[in-house]
Amino acid sequence: MAKVDLKFGKKLKKFGAIDFNACYNCGTCTAVCALSDEKDSFPREMVRFSVTGLSEDVKGSLKPWLCYYCGECTTYCPQEAKPGELMMSLRRYATSRYDWTGLSGLLYKNLLAYIISFLLVIAGVIGAYLSDTFTTEEWFHYGHYFEMLAIVGVFLLILTPNIFRMWLYSVQSKKKGFKLKHYFSAFGELLVHMFTQKRTLKCDDDAKNKIWWFEHFILVFGYLALLFTTVVLDWFATEVPFIIYMGYVFSGIIFIVTFDFVIRRIRKRSEKSTFSHPSDWFFVIWLFLMGVSAFAVRLLVDTGLILDNFWVYLFHVIILVQWALIIVPFGKWTHFLYRSFAMYFDKVNKLNAA
Amino acid sequence: MKQKIGVYICHCGGNISDYVDVDKVKDVLAKEDGVYVSKTTIFACADSNQKEMVADIKANELDAVVVASCSPKLHQITFQAVTERAGLNKYNYVHANIREQVSWPHSDNKIGATEKAIQIVRSSVAKVRLSQAIEPIEIDTQQAVLVLGAGIAGMKAAISLAKMGTQVYLAEREHFIGGRIAHWDVLCGTEETGKELVTRLYTDVIANKNITLYTGAEMVSSGGSKGNFNVQLKLKPRYVADVCDDKENIKKAIEVCPVEVPDEFNFGITKRKAIYHNFPSEYPQAAVINMDDCTRCGECEKVCDKIDLSQKEETVEVKVGSVLVATGFDSYTPGEGEFGYQAIDNVITLSQYKRLLAISNGELKWNGKKIENVAYIYCVGSRQVEGENKYCSRYCCTATINTALRSNDKFKNLNHFHFTRGMRTYGKQEVFYHEASKQGHVFFQSYGDDPTKVENKNGKTIVKINDILTNRKELEVEADLVVLVTGMVPRAHNTIGDILKIPKGRDKFYNEIHMKLRPVETVIDGVTIAGACQGPKNIVESINSALSASIKSYSFVSSDKLSVEPIVAKIDENLCQYCDACTTACPFDAISKVKSGSKDVALINHTVCKGCGMCLPVCPTNAIQLITFSDDEVENMINVLANEL
Repeated sequence: MAKVDLKFGKKLKKFGAIDFNACYNCGTCTAVCALSDEKDSFPREMVRFSVTGLSEDVKGSLKPWLCYYCGECTTYCPQEAKPGELMMSLRRYATSRYDWTGLSGLLYKNLLAYIISFLLVIAGVIGAYLSDTFTTEEWFHYGHYFEMLAIVGVFLLILTPNIFRMWLYSVQSKKKGFKLKHYFSAFGELLVHMFTQKRTLKCDDDAKNKIWWFEHFILVFGYLALLFTTVVLDWFATEVPFIIYMGYVFSGIIFIVTFDFVIRRIRKRSEKSTFSHPSDWFFVIWLFLMGVSAFAVRLLVDTGLILDNFWVYLFHVIILVQWALIIVPFGKWTHFLYRSFAMYFDKVNKLNAA
Repeated sequence: MKQKIGVYICHCGGNISDYVDVDKVKDVLAKEDGVYVSKTTIFACADSNQKEMVADIKANELDAVVVASCSPKLHQITFQAVTERAGLNKYNYVHANIREQVSWPHSDNKIGATEKAIQIVRSSVAKVRLSQAIEPIEIDTQQAVLVLGAGIAGMKAAISLAKMGTQVYLAEREHFIGGRIAHWDVLCGTEETGKELVTRLYTDVIANKNITLYTGAEMVSSGGSKGNFNVQLKLKPRYVADVCDDKENIKKAIEVCPVEVPDEFNFGITKRKAIYHNFPSEYPQAAVINMDDCTRCGECEKVCDKIDLSQKEETVEVKVGSVLVATGFDSYTPGEGEFGYQAIDNVITLSQYKRLLAISNGELKWNGKKIENVAYIYCVGSRQVEGENKYCSRYCCTATINTALRSNDKFKNLNHFHFTRGMRTYGKQEVFYHEASKQGHVFFQSYGDDPTKVENKNGKTIVKINDILTNRKELEVEADLVVLVTGMVPRAHNTIGDILKIPKGRDKFYNEIHMKLRPVETVIDGVTIAGACQGPKNIVESINSALSASIKSYSFVSSDKLSVEPIVAKIDENLCQYCDACTTACPFDAISKVKSGSKDVALINHTVCKGCGMCLPVCPTNAIQLITFSDDEVENMINVLANEL
């Protein structure tokens, strides 16, 4: 027994869903979907849950994450109900349900909250600068310190509990009992999908899709590599030429690829880049700004101009803090984890059911 | 006795000649008594061959023709026309079927097939030998049409007939015209209300001097047949002067009337007085007193001198050549407790809901409670799994969606939940379904054997469905109002159908002769049907059938003479000892008793007789013969068939 709830549909519209009400249940979306199969049939089922307001069924489902937005469902939908974009908004909705703080939901639904939080960061960083508490040296030192602290803090306080909640909703609530062996045998899925995103390639076999996958793949690689270079190898402060060059390459990858991603979202030539929620814009633009500002900071350090252009570093710090405290824990960054954990949990579910 | 008979045997391009030795048939037939010409032909029906046959018949001065070819259903008319073109009477032609009856079923036995073909053609020759030239029967016709029912179909048909110059009697049983359409607000796909549509048609009806409108008129009897119907109409009085310009006093009369009864125009959701009109601009614009409700207290007479309680019922007789029946439908009335009807107080029908929307202003309320969630339950009384109404009522899906969409124009914050058995907004109407979906109406679907349930739980009305669109999950909606989308059923009050003997289909609606080829004619010659009396139809479909029926009815009255098929039964008055066996056997009421000199004999009405032959075998004195199928002709055929070669 489930109560029909129209408010859920209205709520989803704030998460970016559009026109899904127009669905007349023909199932074309599911039929053309290259990723849907008999065991995991979507998107029609998810559209139906959204129309009828079965939010608990959506919350407990991994299907939003099994969709990689090939976009064919939207292309072929005879009612123009845009099932692909609904799946995207369901991922945002699921993210908000996993997040114990509730901040994800607030930021997704409310652009003003996003902007205020960004402004607060800007005020904080500039305030700290104007208060003259830190010397230039200390800025660099504490900047690096912040990075490490933020990573550990966000992981321990936000992301780990959220993944645990995702597991509770999507695995534990489905099957009584706990078989550790299934978690071991499925663990490969987590790593494979986290680092390859290979499921994207199952989308219909066209060259454009492969190019997109490759860009995304090297972006993930570049991002993780830059993270390692700056946090572990302390790129901004290091004297080792190899590390310095590596940092340039990795930050270069980030801003080149994200520049292309921004262009894609402006041009709207594929289904997946046609609709952009504020959180999508923030994600790609901030990643771009991070790459560019990191590159510029190191360039200024190498050319000895950093002290005369210290605002560039401050700018980088603002972007970094906004990224680390807002976008990573509560924004689109989380799809990096939820997507791969969804594949992992889905495998566990299948092993449990078998 | 025909002496110069022509026999033509068709190859049918191998269809016949591959299995039947057509040359042998030709040779055997050539020796038959009276056969003057016996020939074969590759394709008898080909245009060139038809011309040759005409020339051949003329050149040889033949007096009768047999063509042995395919089924008479296919080409009998073709070769009758050939004989007519050659100057013969078409009843001097007999068709022999040696394809469907011989070559096709006996393709495994060529010798046997040839023998059978010979027998069949010989028997046809035996019949044609006795054939006589006969002419169609001509009858005088009344150049007028009676249209029964002044709903949208009846009015449209009446206007169409009147424009063709025919005198039309338009009879409406109710005191007000417009039928179902008059009730409705803005109609689907238009910006016009039902009332506006009715107004337009009424204006045309009144302006056309060829139309005589009777309201409160009920058909009580009908005699005669195609071309000459005599119909009695009983006219109920209004008890109020027809042209009532005394509006103020009528208003007072309605006010003072102490009787209150449920108002049928609003399907019982409001009350009316015994003296009433449905709405201020209802047509005709004159109030009426319903004598079944009236207590004859006389209060109204005191305030309005237009009221005349002494008016009497009268009967008029109209003479018409055709009757066009457009008597419409009844709305299905749900059984007590069916989806909570009459058991739960916020369960109403779609008709009631539409009237509720029309008469409500400001907030939409039912029993004083504000309405937000409206649940529509579809196919109530249609597509029944257990009941008898197996058919789809066609109009209801679209009507419901239109009502729901329009209701949002007038009342904000209504949520719509549609509990369907599969949407059937066919054709252009699909766009309304799309629009409703886009606006956030939620559609559910159930199977017929697992219907939606309406329950009362702690004073709340809950609608439950095992939704097949959501993995058959049980979903529930708390509804402020449950609207039962009731389908169309045949009129319960069916005296017209009984009087005119219009046959009914399996769905109990009036039946046409042929669903596709003769969709508005009935087997009762001269009687046509239009609109929803024939089966569920929406307005567009009703109008289409009305226009079509008007043309068909017109064909019976367009000239003052009507010719009818002469293949009818004939009574030999010398032999007839009127015993009424034939009268009873006749399915068309064509036989009556008349005096002939000193004795009673049977008389066959040739305009009604269909030549079916039912009366022939029951006659104890063998006084009846069927023209072109006389005993002699049929016995001759049997003799040939029963004797071997």
